[in-house]
Amino acid sequence: MQLEATNRFLDPAVLAGISSLDLVAKTVVDGFLAGLHRSPDFGFSQEFAEYRAYSPGDDLRQVDWNVFARTERPYLKRYRGETNTAVMVLLDASASMGFGSTAVKKFDYARYLAAALVYMAHLQRDSTGLIVFHDDVAKVLQPSARQGQLMRLLHGINEAQLGKRTDFKRPFFDLQRILKRRGITVLISDFFEAPETIVKTVEPLRFRGNELILFHILDPAELAPKLSSPALFVDMETDDAIETSPDYVGGDYRHKIEAHIEDLRSKAEAAGIDYFFLRTDRPLDEGLREYFTIRRGRL
Amino acid sequence: MGFLSPWFLAGIAAVGIPLWLHLLRQYKRTPQPFSSLMFFERRVQSSVRHRRLKYLLLLALRCTFLALLALAFANPFVNRTSTSAPRRKLTIIAVDRSFSMRYGDHMQKAKLRAQEVASGLKSRDMAQVFAVDSHVEALTPPEFNKGVIEAAIEAIQPGDQASSFGEFVRALRVMDQENNTRFDVHFISDMQQSSMPPGFRDLQMGPHTALTLYPVASSNAPNWAVESVNTSAHVYDPNRTRLTATIAGWQTEAATRKVSLMLDSKAVASKDVTIPANGRAQVEFLSFEVPYGAHRGELRLEPPDQLPNDDIFRFSVERSDPKKVLFLYSAGRAQGSFYYKAAMESSSDTGLLVQPAPIEQATTIDLTKFAFVVLDDPGEMDSAAAQAVCNYISRGGAALIALGRDSGRLGKVPLAGDRVAGKLEAQGAARFDPGEPALRGAGQFDNVQFSQAVSVLPKSGVRVIARLADGSPLLLEEHMGEGRVLIFTSALDTSTSDFPLHSSFVPFVVQTGHYLAGFEENPPSVVTGTTIALRRARDQGTAADVIGPDGRHELALNEASKAMNFALLRDGFYEVQRADRRRLLVAAHADRRESDLRTVPPETLVLWRNTGNESAAAESVGEQKQTRPRSLWRYVMLLVLAAAIAESLFARRYLKEERQTA
Repeated sequence: MQLEATNRFLDPAVLAGISSLDLVAKTVVDGFLAGLHRSPDFGFSQEFAEYRAYSPGDDLRQVDWNVFARTERPYLKRYRGETNTAVMVLLDASASMGFGSTAVKKFDYARYLAAALVYMAHLQRDSTGLIVFHDDVAKVLQPSARQGQLMRLLHGINEAQLGKRTDFKRPFFDLQRILKRRGITVLISDFFEAPETIVKTVEPLRFRGNELILFHILDPAELAPKLSSPALFVDMETDDAIETSPDYVGGDYRHKIEAHIEDLRSKAEAAGIDYFFLRTDRPLDEGLREYFTIRRGRL
Repeated sequence: MGFLSPWFLAGIAAVGIPLWLHLLRQYKRTPQPFSSLMFFERRVQSSVRHRRLKYLLLLALRCTFLALLALAFANPFVNRTSTSAPRRKLTIIAVDRSFSMRYGDHMQKAKLRAQEVASGLKSRDMAQVFAVDSHVEALTPPEFNKGVIEAAIEAIQPGDQASSFGEFVRALRVMDQENNTRFDVHFISDMQQSSMPPGFRDLQMGPHTALTLYPVASSNAPNWAVESVNTSAHVYDPNRTRLTATIAGWQTEAATRKVSLMLDSKAVASKDVTIPANGRAQVEFLSFEVPYGAHRGELRLEPPDQLPNDDIFRFSVERSDPKKVLFLYSAGRAQGSFYYKAAMESSSDTGLLVQPAPIEQATTIDLTKFAFVVLDDPGEMDSAAAQAVCNYISRGGAALIALGRDSGRLGKVPLAGDRVAGKLEAQGAARFDPGEPALRGAGQFDNVQFSQAVSVLPKSGVRVIARLADGSPLLLEEHMGEGRVLIFTSALDTSTSDFPLHSSFVPFVVQTGHYLAGFEENPPSVVTGTTIALRRARDQGTAADVIGPDGRHELALNEASKAMNFALLRDGFYEVQRADRRRLLVAAHADRRESDLRTVPPETLVLWRNTGNESAAAESVGEQKQTRPRSLWRYVMLLVLAAAIAESLFARRYLKEERQTA
C-alpha cells in the first residue's frame, strides 16, 4: 500500500524527461487533481461569486447540475477569482537556483512549479502573469486571461535564463509598480537571504489586499551536504570560496539551515504570508496537493 | 663512521619534498559549486589538522625513504679494528726443470743453489719444493723436515717441456689468495727470455709473497739445434722421398756442422752444412731409401754441443702401399666415381687408390681392407648393405656420404639418420674456416654453383664444417661408434652441381680423403705437451695402449680402457695403439724455443722481484691489529627497500580511502 501511495505521484526525474513544459504542467496538475476527488472548487479562488450561462466550449465540469435540474438550463458556477483575481507568478532566476544534486535542479523544479500554477490558474480562467527576476527584473508578462496567455506564460517560463545573484529589494520595488491590480502573488525562490530582509521586502505586496504565497525550493544537498573529507565550496552567485570540513557540515550547518527555514516560515506567517517548503526530490504533484489541501482548510 | 661519497648527503635535502607536499602545500581540491555560502564558516585549521593526522605516518615513511636513499649513496662505513692472527710463513724453493736446463751444468747449479737455500732454513721454518716447466708441480707438501726438502731437490731432473714464468706466477698468486700464509719464494732458473709471458702484468706477485730470483745461466750461452724437419709421414714411392731441415744457431759463431739422417738408428745419409753466425741454414735429403713399415727417423747434428738433446730431431715415417678407397655407387650411376677417381689420381702421391663398385656389392666385399668408403647418392640402401657399412664405420672405419636426388627423397640421411628438410635452390658455397682439418689446404669453393642440394637438419653433436650461401650445411662431420662420417649435401657428379668440373674439387677430394684415412692424425713429429686422441667414443670398452720413449707402458690398466687422450711429455718415440686398433708411431720433440738460451735482462729481473712484498719474507711478529673500513651501504639499501614497501602499502591504503570518498 505504501508503495502504491508513493508511486501515485510523479518523480521529479520523470518530469525532467519531458521536454514540453505545457505537458509537464498538465501532467502535474492532472496528477494531483486525479489524486483527489475531483472538484472544481479546488484552486486559488474558491469564493463563489455568480452563475454564468453556459456557452459552447465551456468546461462541463463547471456546470452546476443542481441549477440545471431545477431550471433545465446549464449555468456555470463562477468564483470570485475568475472575475477579479490576478495570479502573478514571480520566478527567482538567480544563479543559486542552478544548483542541483539530483536529476532536477532547483530552477527546473521551480519552473515546473510555476508552469503547473499558471496552468491551474488558466483552468480557472484566472488572469495570470509572470515575472522572472534575479538581481533585476528579467521578464514581465502582465496578468491576462486572454486566449494564448497560457502559451505565452509557458514560453516565458521555458525561456527564462539564470542570472547572477538574487537581490530582492530592487526587483520588488519595481514589482510594486507593476502589480497594481489586486490579486494573488506567488513567489518561487530558494530564499538565500536573511528572513527579515525577505519578509520586509515582500510584505508590501500584500498591503493592498493582495495575497502572497512563498514557495521555498531547496535541494536535498543544501539541507544536508554529504562530505567525508574537507572540501572547497564556491558560491555560485558571488564566486567566493570557502573551505569547510565534514564535521561542520554535519553539525552546525544543518542547524543553521533548519533554523533559517523555520525562521522564514514563522516570520512569513506572522506577516500574513503563505509559506510552503518544497524539496526538489519530492514529487511536485504531491507537494501541490498538500499545499492546496492546507490552503483549502485554512480558507 | 664516515662516508665514502659524502657529497651524496646533499640528497637529504629531498626530504623537503614530502614535507612540502604534506604540510606546506595548499591542499588543492577541486572546487565544488554550491548555491550559497551564507551558512558556511571557514574551517581551514580543522581540515589541515585532519590531513596532518591522517598522513603523518605516510609522511614519516617518505622522509625516511629519501633520507636512507641519500645515505646509501653516500656509502657509509665504519672502521673495524680486527686482530688477525699472524700469517705463517712458507718457504717455497722452485727449480726450473724445463728443457733448456739440460744445457751444460745448469741443472747442477740450480740444485746447488736450491740446496743452499734449503740449508739456510731453520728448524721451525716450513718449506716446500716446486718443479717448474710449462706447469707447476709440488714435489713435497709443506715440510719442516729439511731432509725431505733436500731429497726432493736432489730428485729434480730436467724435462722436455718449455718453461712458463707466467704459469708459475699464476700458481703462486692462487696460493697467496687462498691461504693465510706468507710465501718466501726462491726461484732458481736459467731465466730464459722465451719463458717470459707476453705482458709484465702477468708477473705480478701476490701481496703476501716475497720473491728471490737465482739465475744460473750466463747471458751468452751458444747453442746449435735442429730447429725443424719437414717431411711426409707416409712414403708410397721411395723415389719421391724428400726431407728438409732447418739448422739454427743462437749466439754462435759461423761453423760447419755435419747433419746425419738416420732411420732406426742406422745412418741413411749425411751432409755438411755451414751455419752462419747466429743464423740458420737449410739442409735437404732426397730419394733416401725407406723400407716398408713404420720407422724411427732422426736428424742428428754433429758434433753435439752443450745442449745435445736439441741436436737430434726425431720424426716418424712409414712406408706402405697406397690405401684403397671403396667408391659405392647406385646401379647405372657411375659418373660420380669417374670424377672422384680422376680427382684422386690427378694429385701426386696421395696414397689413396679409388676402387669403384656397385652399392649392392657392399655385402660381399671385405670393407676392413679399405681406408674409407664413399657412398655417392646411395638412396634407399639394401638393409644388408647398410648394416655392413654401419658395422664397418662403428668399428673404426670412415665414410663420405654424398647426398643426391635419390637420397633427398628419403627424408633422412642414409646410415647417419639426420633429418632432411627438403631441397635447396641454386646457390654458391659460403666461405669456411680454412683451418678445418677435413678441408685444410682445400681452398674455398669459389664460383662453384650448387644447382640442387639436400637441406639437412643436423642432429645434436654433429659438426657443420662448411655451409652454403644461405647458411644450410654443405659438409657435416658425425661420429658413429669409433668411426666418423663426412656428409656432403650434394652429389659427386654433375647432376646437382658443377663442383666436379672446378679445380677446387681435386683438393677437396684429396684432403677429405686424407682426413677420413687418418693421415692427419699421424704427423711425422709433434711438440712435447701435445695430446693425441686414444678413442672417440667414451663408452667404448676396447683398451688403448701407449709405449713411451723408454719402452715402458705409459697407461695404467684403468686408464687404458677409459682415457680419451694422452699427453706426450717427453722427447722421443711413442708407440700408440688406439681403441680402434690403429697403431701409430709418434715422434715428440722439445719446443725449440727452449734452444734459444738468451736470458732475461737483469733490470727486468729486478722489476719482477720488486713486484713481491719483501716484508713477507720477514720473521713473523705477534698479533696484528688492522683497521679496515666496513661498508654499510648494503644494510642501508635493505632499509630503503623496507621503507619503500611500507610506503607503498600505506599509500595504497590512503589512496583507496580517497577514491572511496571522492
